[in-house]
Amino acid sequence: MSVRKTDSLTRLSRRAVLSGMVVTAAAIGAPRIIRPASAADPIKIGVLSPVTGAWTVYGQAHSRGFELAVEEINAAGGVLGRPIQMILADYQTDQRLVVEQANRLLRQEKVDLLAGTFSSADRNAAGPVVKAADKILLYPTWYEGQIKDYYPGVCNPNIFMFGPEPTQQVWPFMEKMVKDHGKKFYMIGSDYAWPRVTNLFTKEKLQELGGETVAEVYIPFNTPQYESVLREIREKKPDIIFHSLTGSDTVNFRQQLHAAGMSKDFTLWTVDDEEVVTSGLGPEVSAGTYVSFDYFMTISHPNNKAFLERYKAKYGPDALMNTVGVGMYNAAHMGAMAIAKAGKVETAAIREGLKELTFDKAPQGTVKMRGLDNQIVVPSYLMRVREGWTSVNDMFEEVMSVPSVEPKDARCDLPL
Amino acid sequence: METVVSVFADTILITLVLAFAAFGLAIIYGLIGVINMGHGAMLTLGAYFTWWSTQHGVPFVPSVLLSAIAVGAVGLAFEHIIIRHFYNRPFDTLLLTWAFFLVTTEVIKIVFGTDFRNVPSPVDGAIDLEIYRVPAYKTIVGAVSISIIAGTALVFFKTALGIKIRAMIQNREVASLLGLNIAVMYKLVFAFGAFMAGLAGGLIAPMYSIDPYMGNTFLVRSFFVVIIGGVGQLLAGTLFGSFAIGGLETVLALFSDQVIAQIAVFFIAVLILRFRPQGVFTGR
Repeated sequence: MSVRKTDSLTRLSRRAVLSGMVVTAAAIGAPRIIRPASAADPIKIGVLSPVTGAWTVYGQAHSRGFELAVEEINAAGGVLGRPIQMILADYQTDQRLVVEQANRLLRQEKVDLLAGTFSSADRNAAGPVVKAADKILLYPTWYEGQIKDYYPGVCNPNIFMFGPEPTQQVWPFMEKMVKDHGKKFYMIGSDYAWPRVTNLFTKEKLQELGGETVAEVYIPFNTPQYESVLREIREKKPDIIFHSLTGSDTVNFRQQLHAAGMSKDFTLWTVDDEEVVTSGLGPEVSAGTYVSFDYFMTISHPNNKAFLERYKAKYGPDALMNTVGVGMYNAAHMGAMAIAKAGKVETAAIREGLKELTFDKAPQGTVKMRGLDNQIVVPSYLMRVREGWTSVNDMFEEVMSVPSVEPKDARCDLPL
Repeated sequence: METVVSVFADTILITLVLAFAAFGLAIIYGLIGVINMGHGAMLTLGAYFTWWSTQHGVPFVPSVLLSAIAVGAVGLAFEHIIIRHFYNRPFDTLLLTWAFFLVTTEVIKIVFGTDFRNVPSPVDGAIDLEIYRVPAYKTIVGAVSISIIAGTALVFFKTALGIKIRAMIQNREVASLLGLNIAVMYKLVFAFGAFMAGLAGGLIAPMYSIDPYMGNTFLVRSFFVVIIGGVGQLLAGTLFGSFAIGGLETVLALFSDQVIAQIAVFFIAVLILRFRPQGVFTGR
């Protein structure tokens, strides 16, 4: 329907408004770059973070983890007598922008190495860039493990994995979960690489344990309604709902599962809902859920206590931390240690320096970068969400933990 | 039997909730022709205001009402400062309302932060019908939705105010010549649409994740609802459009899976538009 002009009210000049909009749009669209002041000749690390867009909720802990570590390194005198300069680039949760920003950091900012990206899709987008430029990428997120099909996003000698993969995050607890709750799994995940490959690994182990998968469902991003999924769950009567939805979809699904009165009838095991998402769910909806990760804010390791003290002193008492933020923290420290060990800032030397490197100040305990496939060896925790929790400090109670999980070898041409 | 009852109940509830979420858009787009790309941001704003207010100890129902009023006020201000100068240029309003979305989203991030927020459901649990448990809160939202949509339609078709609005839609010049204050009417309709979006955002807050982009999920669906039902068809159009976009998915998912059902729904939507480009309830 069109509306024709009849009145002659005073009018803002159209040009003024449009140019105002262009400026606003440019300001919003422009990459945010933080340049901490530093002495001459710093070592530059480009950090790719989802500060805006769909993964905004994870972006904060993601970039802060790295920032805190850089601050600690510089306070201790830097590396090889040079400070580290972190150059933050926001890729707005857009894989196209991952490529654009990575190239910009490498060509214009001339960074020495890269850290970050969040989802597997983001990392897979950055893979070809770091391969072509022959630069290191430090990747912080829990992910699906390395399978050759996804090269160069994985199985790439230039990418180092600081987050746990399924044989670390899921396998250690499967026997216990199957024994305590039952053998029938209903798998629901978002429709992309991480949930699909994670479920592939999980099914492999489940088969070994004599269990079965009653259904496997993949949901497109930003799906608001789950009634048909809930109906299928009621019909198939699984013992465990194995959950790998991400972002707002996980919140929408679980709100509706709870509202349908089903959250008490089924055991739900999530490999996605860390502190940030569980906070978004609230205590009623999340109570009783099982969650597994390499790091939780509630773990009692002395490293974690000291780490959180420093973190909260810098970002406030309510600031959230999670496995990704800790992955970024460890990546920064271990990257710096590798450069120190190598004695120079050069890709091949940093790669050699990172391999078999041990970091005993990691918030989750001692961690080690495995040389064979560039995969971090970390502890693993199975937690249960407490009834009536009030904050991240009492959100999770430990069910089971393994101090250090050696993952299965990556399915790549090894060694990397 | 269980399946029949559950599909029936789900379909009705989804249709009503979606109709409510789309209603603000149906009003602004349908009555005054502004393609309001800021509709999603208005929903989001309603949800955040409700969250903020419940965090500060205000009970849920007053929180939702205050939020709706606040979003209505934001809409009024936006209309007064910018939109009213562009009623004769629909494409420009599309850009301006999109800018409203961008700016509002960034302001939400600055003011409320980027973490997920949640509003605890004021009515927890489900109504047990022996064979099927119906989510209690969703049922309430559905009931509110149908009452408000029907109430608005009643005002629209049965009152003097409704006649004025319809006259204004039919022919602006003539209505204005007959002594209607067009500028004020447009302002009221725009603010009312924003109020409705805020109300819907506040009411659905306990059912969905509250994040700066939550409104986006509903923006595209809302546009489909309005266009399929027919622009300006507030009651029948909104309800039918919501059924076609929301309810149908649940029915179709019975015969396939959720993903195929979602694709099928949008395919059907496109088919409907091919043969009824003016919408199902708009006469040629």
